Amino acid sequence: MAGLKKFVTRFFMYLVLVFTVVVSVFPILWVIISSFKTNAQILSSPFTLPTSISFDAYAYLFTKYNFLGYALNSLIVSVVSTFVSLLFYAMGAYVIAKFNFPGKNLFYVLFAMTLLVPGQSKAQPIFALIMNLNLYDNIWGLTLVYLSGGMAMSMFILKAAFMSVPKSLDEAAELEGAGFFRRFWSINLPLTKSGLSTAGILMFLGNWNEYFYASLLTSSDKNRTLPIALQFFNEAFSYDYTKLFAALTVVVLPGIILYACAQEQVQASVAASGVKG
Amino acid sequence: MSKIKMPDKGKRVRASKLERRDYKWIYLFLLPSVVMFLMFYFVPILTMFFTSFTKWDGFNAPVFNGLDNYTRLFSNPAFVISVRNLIAWSLIGIFLHVGFGVLVALILYHKPRGWKFTRAVFMIPNVISAAAWALIYKFIFNNEMGVLNNLIRMISPDFNVQWFYTSPYAFWAITFTWLFYAVIVTLVVLGDLMAIPEELNEAARIDGANQWQITTRIHLPLCRNAIGTSIICTVTSRVAMYEAIQLTTAGGPGDDTMNTPLILVKAIMDMNNGYANAAGVVMFLIGVIIMVIINKVMKMNEPVY
Repeated sequence: MAGLKKFVTRFFMYLVLVFTVVVSVFPILWVIISSFKTNAQILSSPFTLPTSISFDAYAYLFTKYNFLGYALNSLIVSVVSTFVSLLFYAMGAYVIAKFNFPGKNLFYVLFAMTLLVPGQSKAQPIFALIMNLNLYDNIWGLTLVYLSGGMAMSMFILKAAFMSVPKSLDEAAELEGAGFFRRFWSINLPLTKSGLSTAGILMFLGNWNEYFYASLLTSSDKNRTLPIALQFFNEAFSYDYTKLFAALTVVVLPGIILYACAQEQVQASVAASGVKG
Repeated sequence: MSKIKMPDKGKRVRASKLERRDYKWIYLFLLPSVVMFLMFYFVPILTMFFTSFTKWDGFNAPVFNGLDNYTRLFSNPAFVISVRNLIAWSLIGIFLHVGFGVLVALILYHKPRGWKFTRAVFMIPNVISAAAWALIYKFIFNNEMGVLNNLIRMISPDFNVQWFYTSPYAFWAITFTWLFYAVIVTLVVLGDLMAIPEELNEAARIDGANQWQITTRIHLPLCRNAIGTSIICTVTSRVAMYEAIQLTTAGGPGDDTMNTPLILVKAIMDMNNGYANAAGVVMFLIGVIIMVIINKVMKMNEPVY
């Protein structure tokens, strides 16, 4: 009896785990595999493997459309905004973690509270701001908006990272004559590499995947990022599933590869901060 | 988000001579973050609040019109439906989405074979663009070539449903795009579970508690902070849900799957800026209210141990 109960519990446990894995992976695998099929195959036999591998859809995307341009836009916007905001918030988190100064608690609480603001609620003022700066339909306008995205999350991660660098190192460096900037740049930054890369990866993923502000702040073909391009492909090839699946694959894979390289870190930081990337 | 710890307010900030010498540098280092804060949070939020009481097209100066935007918003049938949807989605989110995430966390806590793999793979839908995920689901629920209907047709060959285009299926189709993707819940709860001291489990076992009792009477109450955080995250994600709707149903059929961000974007496009900001204020306030309520209900500010 006890054995049976144990068996049922185990069976149920693995059932839930298998279900979790299937719902997480199957949709993506299905899209990737289908991108190598012909449209007729997708329609007639949605579950079979492709009979022959064809990269035609991918070739079409990159030759007939400016897909490389969209990918480059996405890459520039995400890389630049990630590195600049990482530097900004590392500087902020560093002084908050290591020094006492008037207003320190106020600044930290204010930065942390930005987490509670739904990004879309302030869409109109930000739209107006970008218009006034003459940066509408410009990838640099989008980059500027993305700088503000990971503020609270990177403050949490980086403050903790800088606090774990022993103060004695700073003191020793100061005795050696290292100035304020040297101590930050050559002593503290190299010792917080793991915190920096975690915050950086989370911000990069957020920016690479961002759709709402990209759709609001860009309009022309040459400034499209990949998520926005997807929407146009969705309209342009509404019945050409192979090409759509190929486009989806190209958009989705870089994020998955980046995550695969740093999955432990990403999971740990999500668990610690309870924030979505 | 419950984890924002207020630094010790009482402690007076005493700066050593050494630190005072650095003030120039300290504020210089803080400057970029402060500029970002003012530019993208402080000023926009103030603008949003003030102009929500005005009629404003973005070109002419805003004209004060009292609560006009709010009364128009609350009498807009699309907004009424979006509130109804939000309530339904929040309840589904709290009970089924968070429930599923907690269930997976409780299972992973016992470290069954493949638990690390499951945990890693569960995260994948969250590292993908929400826009891409919405389109993937649009195809999964496609009537002709979609996986779901073809699976159902293996059992009942005449099954035909246009999930995203017919009422009431569209609401459920949208729900399924996020329902099971509870990895944040799982990771946050698992973090709290792993922090439970092993002695507690042993003590309970010695007292004759079975696994079910340990789980429901000890583990779950000790995870209430994580569960509270998860509920806040879930509800605020429902408030902000945009891509999953815009790229599949665009709020239809009728206004069946309407949500506030869609109303807000449409108002910006129509240059109804005051109205858009009223919608923004409502979104903002819903988030704050939910956080306060969950904090109270889950007793998140009281020490757990």
